[in-house]
Amino acid sequence: MDTYKRKELLVGALMLGAGLFYLFLTINLPRKGFIDASTVPYVLSVGLCLLGALQLLTATKATQPPADPDADADSSAATPPDYPTVFKTLGLIAVYVALLQKVGFPIMTVLYLYAQFIVITPREQKVNHITYIVIAVVTSALIFFTFRQGFDLMLPTGFLKI
Amino acid sequence: MFELLQAGFGAVFSPYIFILITLGVAVGIVFGAVPGLSATMAIALCLPLTYTMGPAAGLSLLVALFIGATSGGLISAILLKIPGTPASIATTFDGGPMMEKGEGLKALGVGVVFSFLGTIFSIVALMSIAPSLAKIALRFGPHEYFSIAIFSLTLIATLSTGSLLKGIYAGTLGFAFSTVGIAPVDAIRRFTFDSPNLNGGFAMLTVMIGMFAVAEVIKIAETGRAAHKSKIASVSMKGVKGFGFSLKEFFGQIPNAFRSGLIGIGIGILPGIGAGTSNIVSYIIAKKRSKHPELFGKGAVEGVVASETANNAGIGSAMIPLMTLGIPGDTVTAILLGGFMIHGIQPGPLLFISQGALVYTIFAALILASVMMLVLEFYGLRIFIKLLAVPKHILLPIILVLCVVGAFGLSSRVFDVWTILLFGLIGYGFVKGGMPAAPFIIGFILGPMAETNLRRGLMLSDGNFIGFLSNPISATFLLLALASVAWHLFSALRSRKNTAARLQET
Repeated sequence: MDTYKRKELLVGALMLGAGLFYLFLTINLPRKGFIDASTVPYVLSVGLCLLGALQLLTATKATQPPADPDADADSSAATPPDYPTVFKTLGLIAVYVALLQKVGFPIMTVLYLYAQFIVITPREQKVNHITYIVIAVVTSALIFFTFRQGFDLMLPTGFLKI
Repeated sequence: MFELLQAGFGAVFSPYIFILITLGVAVGIVFGAVPGLSATMAIALCLPLTYTMGPAAGLSLLVALFIGATSGGLISAILLKIPGTPASIATTFDGGPMMEKGEGLKALGVGVVFSFLGTIFSIVALMSIAPSLAKIALRFGPHEYFSIAIFSLTLIATLSTGSLLKGIYAGTLGFAFSTVGIAPVDAIRRFTFDSPNLNGGFAMLTVMIGMFAVAEVIKIAETGRAAHKSKIASVSMKGVKGFGFSLKEFFGQIPNAFRSGLIGIGIGILPGIGAGTSNIVSYIIAKKRSKHPELFGKGAVEGVVASETANNAGIGSAMIPLMTLGIPGDTVTAILLGGFMIHGIQPGPLLFISQGALVYTIFAALILASVMMLVLEFYGLRIFIKLLAVPKHILLPIILVLCVVGAFGLSSRVFDVWTILLFGLIGYGFVKGGMPAAPFIIGFILGPMAETNLRRGLMLSDGNFIGFLSNPISATFLLLALASVAWHLFSALRSRKNTAARLQET
């Protein structure tokens, strides 16, 4: 089985899975009559399941579409996906959000930015720790004080008693 | 009308709003010019800044960002041969070759001036069509609104790029996500998993920020480490008169610009397609109508004119369904709808009656922002070129932090920040699965409108669905929705048959 077909089958399975999950949740909604709060979710869940099944069906017969000759401008299309960097980025964002309230916006933002700069620095470039720290600290302070003083947005301060 | 417009100009020329518009246009141009950043992202990120502003100032800033970002795409389209936004794809066809021929400045000048003319043309259309359409729309009831929402949804799902099936699925899934929270009419909690945070459903802004900004950061993480430094061509502004082209050349392009403007307005007014499509359509038509079609793709000024006039002409026209019916035609107007709602304003026909002064302030802001774009984009070109060189691995994490601030600022809850991460993952999944994000967003926004009006309509007609078909306007839109799906299904089947026949031949 070629990669394209496998990908389309996986997409179809996920589409159907999401539809079935939504249908399961819809069935558990309380009913009050023929037309009630669950009517539209029923229509949607049946639609999602049908479309998912259709995708699975068409994926079994799928053939790789011819490459678009105009798509050469997008250089990223030719680069193989770097999933370790994606997972590291997701992990960093999750830690950032999880500790935002407790540790506070200013500290977490500096830490997140510094780590994220390092994680996605292109391989051909050298990691410049001092520049990254300076940018992280300046950005964090600038955003924190601009929103706090200028726009009355009380971002969490955490440990810092500002 | 003229008095209201005069008052509108009075408001936008106050120093505070004037500075906001200038900054909005400049930031918008940067977002349009840097590939990977978009008008939607610019508006989503700047929305939190408007929380404490009044509606006139806040909305003026947002429309300035819209105009700046739509036209900013031409800078990278010409200098890097990479469209900054999908609205500038056709600009690369001739803008790039013009740059290579040493006519880069002329291409930029033509692009900027005709972007300006396209925008003004569409604002005139907006100002003349919207008030009359709003008057008609005042008579619409739940039946009509339900049918218009369904029509817009099907049009967006079928016209979006990629597979028809995935487009419809994305729209339906967006609708499904909008059902989370307290149901309209009977106020039952749905899909909340007993979490009070979900009672109000997902906030539109968090969905947009997640799908467009966070997903983009994750996407960049995927390829960013392998990125090479792109070489940005430089242009010299020495000895430049006017905008770098002659008056004769300008007048020679007027018929082409007029035609492209009409195409841009016509396509921009339809839900689902906008500047991303109109720039290519008008380019193709300009090529067909040209006396020298062989020059297209080799640096023809007409190509840049057609693309840039059409994409900017979509600005005013995309605001017509938004302001008169409360229906966003694309993701940018969807987030503008969010901007209106944050300030407690519901776009729709009543807007013209209850907020007449604000409507004309928005019109005036659009005009002033266009003029600012004309001046800033051409004469501030060197600054924007420098900003193009800011590395993505520095820019994108900062954008993510701004996304977090924007989500948190909505109601000071970390829950909203988690939501943007969830929708970021969904958006990234959409990119990987080849599913268009626009129908999801529009489904999410129009879903509640469709459901609420369906329930209201059924209550009015004693639970009878015939009410939706016996009402002529409602029936017309439902028929159009059906015809749109049928036609796309037919053309998809036909193209598959053709591909199969071609494969058999080979």
